[in-house]
Amino acid sequence: MNKLGHVINFTYRNKVKNKSFRWTTLTLAVLLLVGLNVPYFIQLFSGNNGEDNMKIGIATSSYNEIATQIQQAAQKQQTLSSAAEDTATNTSSQAKDTQLQWQAKAESESVLRQQVEDGSIGGYLLLQKPTTGDVAFPTVTYVSEKNNATIQNLLQTATQTAKVQYIAEGKLTNTQLEQIGTPVIVNQTSIDDLNKNSTEPKENPIKSNTENYILVYLLMILFFFSLTITGNMIASEITAEKSSRVMEILISSLSPLTQMFGKIIGVFLVGLTQIASYGIVIAINLSLPYYQEVLAGFDLHVSNLSLNVVGFGLLYYVLGYFLYATLFAAIGSIVSRTEDLGQAIAPITMLTLAAFYIGIFSISNSDSLLMRISSYIPFFSPTTVIVRIGLGSMPIWEIAISIAILLISILFFGWLSARIYRTGVLMYGKRPTLKELRKAMKSYKL
Amino acid sequence: MKPLVLNQIIKHYAGKTAVDQLSLEVEAGEIYGLLGANGAGKTTTMRMVLGLIYPDEGEILYDGRPYRKELQHKMGYLPEERGLYPKVKISDQLVYLGQLRGMTHKDAVQSLHKWLERFDAMEYLDKRIEELSKGNQQKMGFIAAVIHHPSILILDEAFSGLDPVNVEMLKEVIQELRDDGTAILFSTHRMEHVEELCRNMTILRRSKPVLQGNLRDIKNTYPREKVVLRTAHPLSGLSDIEGIVHVEPQDENGRYLIHINQEQAAQQILQLAMQHGNVEQFEIKEPTLNEIFIKVVGNNE
Repeated sequence: MNKLGHVINFTYRNKVKNKSFRWTTLTLAVLLLVGLNVPYFIQLFSGNNGEDNMKIGIATSSYNEIATQIQQAAQKQQTLSSAAEDTATNTSSQAKDTQLQWQAKAESESVLRQQVEDGSIGGYLLLQKPTTGDVAFPTVTYVSEKNNATIQNLLQTATQTAKVQYIAEGKLTNTQLEQIGTPVIVNQTSIDDLNKNSTEPKENPIKSNTENYILVYLLMILFFFSLTITGNMIASEITAEKSSRVMEILISSLSPLTQMFGKIIGVFLVGLTQIASYGIVIAINLSLPYYQEVLAGFDLHVSNLSLNVVGFGLLYYVLGYFLYATLFAAIGSIVSRTEDLGQAIAPITMLTLAAFYIGIFSISNSDSLLMRISSYIPFFSPTTVIVRIGLGSMPIWEIAISIAILLISILFFGWLSARIYRTGVLMYGKRPTLKELRKAMKSYKL
Repeated sequence: MKPLVLNQIIKHYAGKTAVDQLSLEVEAGEIYGLLGANGAGKTTTMRMVLGLIYPDEGEILYDGRPYRKELQHKMGYLPEERGLYPKVKISDQLVYLGQLRGMTHKDAVQSLHKWLERFDAMEYLDKRIEELSKGNQQKMGFIAAVIHHPSILILDEAFSGLDPVNVEMLKEVIQELRDDGTAILFSTHRMEHVEELCRNMTILRRSKPVLQGNLRDIKNTYPREKVVLRTAHPLSGLSDIEGIVHVEPQDENGRYLIHINQEQAAQQILQLAMQHGNVEQFEIKEPTLNEIFIKVVGNNE
């Protein structure tokens, strides 16, 4: 047991001390830092646009009444949404930036056009006689140098309200008009969510899934990349020990099982260190006040993350790591030269790729038959189960079976890999075929 | 109780027999020579002794008992193609290897310092293996094999690649270890090292032991077939003596090398030489191990 500690310690320290390891970690952390701040920079630049003139004029020859109605409808809508913002922080803060200021009196179009050009107003509404059909209601155009979807939406709704008002010719009360103006929202929710929240129905269930969606995505990417990196590390370390022949000294000093698991755990800790250093970068960023605002701008809230997904995500990450790591170790042990490693590792890399892509491509269809079957295949379950827990529905008994299968597989492949390792580390020269390996394995006791 | 006894060992490898019916005994304070051409089965034998692979038949006994785990701490091994971690500091990896052999960190550091001083290599403590010359790398490999004071030491081609100065230094160290009571199993294909160091030896040929026993006894069983003679003046009539196979012409120092196939011919050569004048040197050479080896193993391998 003591020796296991020595192997873990030695593996870990040498890897972390390694210059190239430090540089990759640092570079990735910096990239991450920049990447995380991209939304902030985007907002910074689009924020400049938002500071632009929000003054709006109206140009009309014969539709003064409708123009007033549009203006009133737009103002009413804006007061409503800013009131909603006060109560529910959920709403986009962008509404504030687009608070329109209407010019007091109507001007002729040529004057307004001049004002838009010199920048004293942001744009103007042009009400014109339609070229065909009923001439009673005008064609409305918003003339502006800037393309602003929020303003356009606002004006569209306001015009719609004005049109209804015009058609109803005063038969509707103000309240009715307001109701017509309120946009309808269709929410989607799963039965599970309904059951969970039957007492307090969720305001906006689909929104709360966005965070989990991102989380599941991140977990899968994390699993795939860290597995590829650490797996290669394990295999190449073992091959290097073998090709530098230090293996012969090692193997006469301690049992191959201790050696193999020492290496696997040591590299696992290296991987954790790397992840932790990225995690710290992310956490610091997320906790910065301005970043919270950015997230809020995208309507994302850390508090919406499902603890289930985080918990199971980590559990499956660890289990999946150990399953694959033993295979990487076994492959590393039968290869004699580092140059041959890439080729030998290819089958396992394919497996990790398959696990990754099954998860990614099923992310919007998380309860498909493929996903259900994959949840029981130990090589795929570390990604697929997370997708199912995070975005679909997975009964607890299915999770239990899946974990049990995964655990049994770890034991089985750990045992098999240890035997291959025991045999492989002393076989030099050509990579042995399966048959040769099986034959050779018989002459070793573990 | 002898520290190491091999009893009728047989090992098959991929359909071939790697070691066939090998028996040998190494005593404490003895260097045992294992000789053989490449592929004769030396490394396989050593791996079996180390417990890395198991013999198909026969038994290996350590102090009279079969292999057990605690032997990992009692045995030291210098593999033929020695290697350490190329990119790890010497102090780090040798202490690590010592710890894996059951030492505490403190003991390992102490022992490492002692050995580095012995090899006059203290300045390499913080260097990496790849920065060292081949000969120095080999010294570090040797330290890795002995850092934990093993009672059984297995040296596979310990001297290959060393310059004469370092060969002498290492020889001294190995003799010191022997005098301290270490049982040493030593493989080589350099006969002169066996002649200098070993009391007993085994020559392996194609997996089989072909010549075994005490070095002196072995030498005595082989006839002496060479005579070295130096006289003041050139000698004639040598070829008339019965039993002379071939006379090599005098070398620069006036020495004859005479090949004989009957021992009494040597005496006749001496008489002849004395009749002709002063004899400056006369020696009946005992066969070198090299000659015996070539005779036994054959030159064609």
